[in-house]
Amino acid sequence: MAKASTSEKKQGITWKQIKSQKVLILLSIPFIIYVIIFCYVPLGGWLMAFQNYKPKNGLLHSQFVGLDKFEFLFSNDQFLKVIRNTLAMGVINLVLGTVTAVLFAILLSEFRFVRGKKLVQTISYLPHFLSWVIVTGIVFDVLSTENGIINEVLVATGILDKPFNFLADPKWFWWIVGFANVWKETGWNSIIYLAAITSISPDLYEAASIDGAGRLAKIWHITLPGIKPTFFILLIMNIGNVLNAGFEVQYLLGNGLVQSVAQTIDIYVLKYGISQADYSLGTAAGIFKSVVSLILIVAANQIAKKMGEEHLF
Amino acid sequence: MKKIKSITALSMAVLMIAGATGCSSTSQGGDNASTDSNSGAASTSSSGEIKEFTAFFSVPGNEINSDNRIQQVIAEKIGAKCKETWLTGQTAEEAIGVMIAGGEYTDFIVGSSGSTTLIDAGALIPIDEYWDNYPNVKNFYSDAEWNQIRNEDGHVYIIPQFGNVYMYDTGTIHNDEAFWIQTRVLKWAGYPKIETLDEYFDVIERYLEANPTMEDGTPNIGYEILTDDWRYFCLENAPFFLDGYPNDGCCIVDETTHQAIDYNTTPTAKRYFKKLNEEYAKGVIDPETFTLNYDQYIAKLSSGRVCGMVDQHWNFQDAENAIKQQGLDDCTYVPLGIVIDKGIKERYHSEPALDATGGIGITVSCDDIEGAMKFLDDLLSPEILRLRNWGQEGIDYFVGDDGLFYRNDEQRKNSVDQSYINANMCPYSYFPGYIGMDHDGINAYNPSNQPAEFYESLPEPVKECFNAYGVQTYTQMLNPSKEKSPWFPMWSYSNAFTTETPWGLAKVNMDEVKHEYLPKVVISSDFDAAWDEYMGIYSDRCDTEAYLNALTEEVQRRIAVAEGN
Repeated sequence: MAKASTSEKKQGITWKQIKSQKVLILLSIPFIIYVIIFCYVPLGGWLMAFQNYKPKNGLLHSQFVGLDKFEFLFSNDQFLKVIRNTLAMGVINLVLGTVTAVLFAILLSEFRFVRGKKLVQTISYLPHFLSWVIVTGIVFDVLSTENGIINEVLVATGILDKPFNFLADPKWFWWIVGFANVWKETGWNSIIYLAAITSISPDLYEAASIDGAGRLAKIWHITLPGIKPTFFILLIMNIGNVLNAGFEVQYLLGNGLVQSVAQTIDIYVLKYGISQADYSLGTAAGIFKSVVSLILIVAANQIAKKMGEEHLF
Repeated sequence: MKKIKSITALSMAVLMIAGATGCSSTSQGGDNASTDSNSGAASTSSSGEIKEFTAFFSVPGNEINSDNRIQQVIAEKIGAKCKETWLTGQTAEEAIGVMIAGGEYTDFIVGSSGSTTLIDAGALIPIDEYWDNYPNVKNFYSDAEWNQIRNEDGHVYIIPQFGNVYMYDTGTIHNDEAFWIQTRVLKWAGYPKIETLDEYFDVIERYLEANPTMEDGTPNIGYEILTDDWRYFCLENAPFFLDGYPNDGCCIVDETTHQAIDYNTTPTAKRYFKKLNEEYAKGVIDPETFTLNYDQYIAKLSSGRVCGMVDQHWNFQDAENAIKQQGLDDCTYVPLGIVIDKGIKERYHSEPALDATGGIGITVSCDDIEGAMKFLDDLLSPEILRLRNWGQEGIDYFVGDDGLFYRNDEQRKNSVDQSYINANMCPYSYFPGYIGMDHDGINAYNPSNQPAEFYESLPEPVKECFNAYGVQTYTQMLNPSKEKSPWFPMWSYSNAFTTETPWGLAKVNMDEVKHEYLPKVVISSDFDAAWDEYMGIYSDRCDTEAYLNALTEEVQRRIAVAEGN
């Protein structure tokens, strides 16, 4: 990242530089090896997508079928629906997740009572450490038509005259997933923003106070611009993650009635790739996902660059 | 600039953590693998020690405690035991698919609906090359039966564990599908004769009106439908039963023309779903039934509030044990053979049948194949069979002067107490075993099939119900099974479909459409419109012709095989 801002003066790397950074280079070697082993070597498995892969024959002796698997994918309207669902839930998660995390971080930073702040912060992280199995269990209970708190409140306040089964209605599914994500991750996601806010120099706030800025004005003119670089970096990284809209939530919360909006690419891969033992098809869908993610992250980065904002590369 | 540095530092930190956890988990994996192979080698070399095998069963089941009493007794007698793990939260295909992709297996494996995939992937060893020294295994089936089980390449890779009857079948329990109803509902209604779908819902409806809540005030639920993933058979496959056909699973087979017929589009199917639609609108069916997962469903049944449902007995047995344990004895279920119109002969109960496509296999990951074969062989010896099914004499059962086994009340109570079972009983239920009679020829193979023992351990309300209908067992509540057709069961063929064939793809699409639209049809406020929409999409998306042709061809093939023998 630092390299990006110094890249205006393009210089070749000299031996002297390498020598002076010997320790750093040595330190990074384990991670490079890690990335090669766990990120690049498995890419060899992409071969499967162009074969009719049979575990018995192995990667080397399976029959090559060219782009057949991709053709099947894109002629299958199930898969197109799955892409739509993944994108929709990814975007909802991204927007809701970012907005709530930023808001929460700002609210926390405005908290004057230190012990209270610590307490709220700790409590808000906790859901992050719960597994989705537990969280979906809570969601089921909250939304239940029998004694679920949401239905109780809605019926008691007269908004509904009888309990409504939210999980049976396709219209609500994406939002239920979105808010379940917010509940689980807001505290955790806000840590990095909180760190960014803490590193803003207090001088700026003092100067602003002297100039007569109120609390809101200080947030607007100092805090928000202060966390902008962090915000953009995270946004670009998260855009690359949009297609990782989730697997467990949808898998655990979904049911027959909402399956047309609940299935994500990951569930599709599991269903066709693993359950139906069509590993080639699963790999093809996986490749598609990686390629789209790559395109998204590069595009987001270029846009950020054009707008003169902080960017990754 | 400063901020960027802090972010860089932070992301480096994250990376380091990721790197560290990545490394540690891999090294752990390595350690495990090495200790595993060590212990395997040690146990094969020194014969005095107890060998420990591993097994994975891709069906849901109960993991017993590691210090289980009977398991220890068996281990001391035969010098081996097996750590069993079961399917949790996945489908069989998923679990097997993941194992194949990883290429590592347990010593024994039961693939259930993933069995063919396992054989195709070369994951199993040919048992027939090893069985000459193990007579109990080799003689478990006759040559003719083994021939049915043989794979296309002529080898036997799996041993079907179930339905092997020793002497004759006492058959007290209907373990399969039926319309189940609580005895309290029947008692309240004066034990009427219930034959049709309309009568069934009528009695539940009237019962609910008269008894809206249980004694403790929790509301009763008329009818529950489980639709969680592969278990949605509780909703979808009733139409062929209603028409009086046996459980072929994937289709109806016409007895005279031997054609496969799609049961999803029959007039009966439409009437059945229309009935469900009406009952849903009346509130007899639980409003949240279609969003329940399996655990929630079992929880609801276990509360004893649910009057009835369609299900396979093995699928809700845990709930029934829980009901008994709470002492809600009038809330257990008896099966009813419901049909669509009077005069149709129901065929819910089928004889234990040899399912040649599913069974237990030994995998290529097993280091000690001879040992594994010996383990299978020993488990089939009369003494061990009795330990597996009855337990230890004097502790789990007594022997009468006439040689008949019996239990006292405490032993009976223990036998439905899950925590007692986990600590004490070790049936090795998915390893090959006999049903029917014990090898002594006097006792049944297990307590619940021992006529006297079975009847004694029934809850009082069930006894009363049986008396009222003039029957002694659950199976007698239904028609006795008819002779098995040569093609039965067709599901053993359709289970092996893959998406590479048009009919396999058709099946996946049918499942997907039905999974979504059948619940929609049931909850719709306008049944006819919803049904038409469903039928439209069904015929658009599913190549039922390819599907039925493939099934018909298999029916013909099986008939030819049967006649050829």
